[in-house]
Amino acid sequence: MKPLTLITGLLLGVMALFLASLAVGPAELSLSESVYGLFAGGGETAAIIMREIRLPRALLGVCIGFTLGISGAVLQGFLRNPLAEPGIIGVSAMAAFGAVTVFYSGLAGASLYALPAGALIGALVAVLVLMALAARNGSTLTLILAGVALSSLSGALTALVLNLSPNPFASYEIIFWLLGSLKDRSMQHVWLALPLMAAGWLLIALSSRAIDALSLGEEAAASLGTNMARTRFLIVGGVALCVGAATAVSGTIGFIGLVVPHLIRPLTNRMPSRLLLPAGLGGAALLLAADVAVRIILPAGELNVGVLTALIGAPFFLWLVVRARREMF
Amino acid sequence: MRRTKRHQVPLRRAALKWPRRKRLSALSSLCLGAGVALAAPASSQPAADEDAPARVMSLNVCTDQLAMALAAPGQLISVSFLARDPAQSAMHEEAEAYPLNHGRAEEVFLARPDLVVTGTYSLHNTTELLRRMNVRVEEFSFVQTLETIPGEIRRMGALLGREHKARKLAAAFTAELSKIRAGQCARRPTALAYEQNGVALGAGTLADSVIEAAGFTNLAAQQGVQGMAPFSLEMVVEKKPDVIILPGGRNAAPSLGARVPRHPALEALPQTRIGAFVPSGSWSCGSPAVLEAIRALDALRNEIAPCGGSR
Repeated sequence: MKPLTLITGLLLGVMALFLASLAVGPAELSLSESVYGLFAGGGETAAIIMREIRLPRALLGVCIGFTLGISGAVLQGFLRNPLAEPGIIGVSAMAAFGAVTVFYSGLAGASLYALPAGALIGALVAVLVLMALAARNGSTLTLILAGVALSSLSGALTALVLNLSPNPFASYEIIFWLLGSLKDRSMQHVWLALPLMAAGWLLIALSSRAIDALSLGEEAAASLGTNMARTRFLIVGGVALCVGAATAVSGTIGFIGLVVPHLIRPLTNRMPSRLLLPAGLGGAALLLAADVAVRIILPAGELNVGVLTALIGAPFFLWLVVRARREMF
Repeated sequence: MRRTKRHQVPLRRAALKWPRRKRLSALSSLCLGAGVALAAPASSQPAADEDAPARVMSLNVCTDQLAMALAAPGQLISVSFLARDPAQSAMHEEAEAYPLNHGRAEEVFLARPDLVVTGTYSLHNTTELLRRMNVRVEEFSFVQTLETIPGEIRRMGALLGREHKARKLAAAFTAELSKIRAGQCARRPTALAYEQNGVALGAGTLADSVIEAAGFTNLAAQQGVQGMAPFSLEMVVEKKPDVIILPGGRNAAPSLGARVPRHPALEALPQTRIGAFVPSGSWSCGSPAVLEAIRALDALRNEIAPCGGSR
């Protein structure tokens, strides 16, 4: 498929799902009410619901989905590992642990700024640890196993910190941090996370030429004139920034970064750099769809969106593992 | 026969662990305790004051309130650790005078109380364990409304051998309640008790009966919410309650759930009054302190929808 056709198609899909996300919610607003509320102000109720509740949720769905998709694509390209993804290799889980540690300890009062600050540090530590491991022993298995260890360790530590909080309600939030949700976010969260995510996307985009060269292997890429230190800095910084900021406002949402690049790759010319933008858009579409679905499946209680992405992603992950084994032996 | 046998084993074991000179008294008090527990359901006659338990422990923040209000000096040997938490306990100042417990079976066993009062809801395993160790445990239900409170006060009074004081307290409670209710009219603004994580207090909760008693209509109950259940932000905006009651008691430790009832969408509602109108800890338990909650809400209702005013 031509890159332009692919991107246009994905953009249209994202736009349609964005509108669907704006249209779905417990308050039954008619289409005209919603549109009027969003743009003209209109009746109080519709305007508040659209602007303060549904718009931030849809915006976060787009941005966080884009982040997960693009990070999955860049990590798979850079590590030359089909199973790399922020959720599986523990970046999201470490980011959640960082956010939880800084926020619930009350170090920064009850300020929301504590969340991204902690999450960025957590994500950065995770990416650095994984890069160090990958540099020493590049096998697919080592990286995935280290990621699994990192994920379960930081998941347990997250639960521990929340259980230790003197606030009795904090322990109920374990499920949010482990399974993610976009429920009841506000524009504050958008302004908090969007600039950091955008900065991360930019760093990842700057690395695109280098990851093409890297698909030939590190030595070949270096001989082609790729600055490895710079590339590593761009990818570490980019992934940590955008995944950290995304996790800070939505908890850990798994598998999107895994599934989307695999679904999109056959539609591209398989150059890692050409995958980045389509994978981001695909991630946005998938997260929006999942977030619309959780609101329809269980309108009252609302499933955590991570449950749904895991239901789609985990079988896919298994299939990838089986296929990878078949190719190896 | 089998029952006696089962009771003997823990008794003997307990006796071995305690100092010799206390064994006899401990044995007799345990027997007495068991006797009272067996006799209690059979006879409706309240125990006389001299039979009252001398050492009473309360393991639950709500039984703490009733016990502190009714116990004779020195009778209540400890209260739960939550009793000093201003966010949960209306009598947190009084609780400073009592030692604290954390509701653990070992603590209770070492303190050897004649009576333990606790809630049916919390610490269920502890309660079972204590009963197996032949400690007399009385449970109080926490599915409460204003109507159940006078009965609970009298029951605690009977357990502590303080019937007289309990009757007076219960009568004063009922009188004060009907006095507040007398000042109300058909104009009933809507109120919503909106807790952490967007959970509303619906029909059947203590908060529901407090809201109704203060002359409001509980929006959550009106919308069919039973007990504590999630109530979406969008529904709150759509139904525009006149008052949103936020949880009081500034909890020092942050949580994300605490931000939901303070979502910008609610602040954008022009006509809605939002705040922690209920004094901290006053309606977390069915105790005489709920009157403070009713008075505070009644005053608020008088301010926004005075009865004499025109419609």
